[in-house]
Amino acid sequence: MVASLRDNDELQLNAYCDGELDPVSANEFERRLANEASLKARYARLLSLRQAVRSLPQLEIPASLQARIKSSLDAERSSNVTVLRQRSWSFQALAAAVVFGAVISSSVMMTIEQYGQRENVTNQVVAGHIRSLLAPQPFDIASSDRHTVKPWFTARLPVSPQVPDLAAQGFALLGGRVDVVGQDPVATIIYKHAAHTLSLTTLRPGQSVSEQTIAGYNVRSWSDADFTYIAVSDLPSTDLATFQRAFSAAAPAPEIK
Amino acid sequence: MSVSVVQNKDERAAFDEVFLPHLPEAYRLAQWLAGNASDAEDIVQEAALRAFRGIKNFGAVNARAWSLTIVRNTAFSWLTKNKSRTVVFLNDLSAAEQQELEYEGLHGARIETPEEIALFKADAEEVQKALAQLPVQFREVIVLREINQMNYRDIAEITNAPIGTVMSRLSRGRQLLIALLGDRR
Repeated sequence: MVASLRDNDELQLNAYCDGELDPVSANEFERRLANEASLKARYARLLSLRQAVRSLPQLEIPASLQARIKSSLDAERSSNVTVLRQRSWSFQALAAAVVFGAVISSSVMMTIEQYGQRENVTNQVVAGHIRSLLAPQPFDIASSDRHTVKPWFTARLPVSPQVPDLAAQGFALLGGRVDVVGQDPVATIIYKHAAHTLSLTTLRPGQSVSEQTIAGYNVRSWSDADFTYIAVSDLPSTDLATFQRAFSAAAPAPEIK
Repeated sequence: MSVSVVQNKDERAAFDEVFLPHLPEAYRLAQWLAGNASDAEDIVQEAALRAFRGIKNFGAVNARAWSLTIVRNTAFSWLTKNKSRTVVFLNDLSAAEQQELEYEGLHGARIETPEEIALFKADAEEVQKALAQLPVQFREVIVLREINQMNYRDIAEITNAPIGTVMSRLSRGRQLLIALLGDRR
């Protein structure tokens, strides 16, 4: 499998150049760079290519284009408001507009801030998934035995989730890892479905994360009394829904610790 | 009704806030996708209109990625409509060629020795020509990465491709460029 190993090197080399490797992988890669002459030469060549592309002359946007855009929008707007144009503007309407505008923009800001926080958690969870795919293996503990994975979590985390093996439902248990979300270490269980890896990250309960796609990965989240679960995978969202049903059905009632 | 006037005013303001700051970048992206300045102007103008009409759909997350997505999609439909011989899309190629370009090694399985891997010196015109020869799907990830300096996540969003595809296209695209620039000797 020389070809696929080389492919993997090539991807890592590119990700390293682009600053997209996580610190641990980057560190490992730098050690290899120092020792492997051909990797080093390819790295230097990639940098010289980057230099060549980045120093290409860039055209400045012509002022005439900006003016054209402005007038095409004005035209668009006046076609929308022809009826309204016939009414004369009153100062009252104008004042109302200003107040209304202010209310809108402050609520937009609040929404953005709330969204930002949730978004942030989800992004971190997805980033954990992506990082794990770039690492040599996506888990810290490899085991298809839930009686190995669960105690491994229990030994490391204040709270740890149930770890059902869902091989019978098509989702084979691969192992577990600890991700860090915000400042908290959290348990992530890794499953395999066909050739796809699925990360299930378990967070404090009571968080709501909408179904979404980030960087091409589908995200599905649900909660029970103990955890908010976020499943991340490149599987289609229907498969994630199937996974959620299988997981919820299989996770036994919390044990008394 | 004064309310719709407000909405109208608001849409324009939102457009000014969301899309307008990224106009120079939008132009640069369009220029590299289209391959020339006058097509880029048409694309950006069309994209601006689309952005304005769709400003209500802006999800208040990443204005830059949102704006460049519209420009990219406008450029793609524009390129398909006004197709010139010089622009290559991946789906123009046979399945076998696509497979080879996207997934297989460019130089067979041979591993180059360090001595063979020379730094190349190419002038801007040669690089520009090589870039223009790349199939659009490879060119766009390279332009978004190197010229617009977006990260993988945003490139994936803009090109509507999984991050793994972005990574392999970047790597392939760069190998293709190196091969093209190496061949000219």
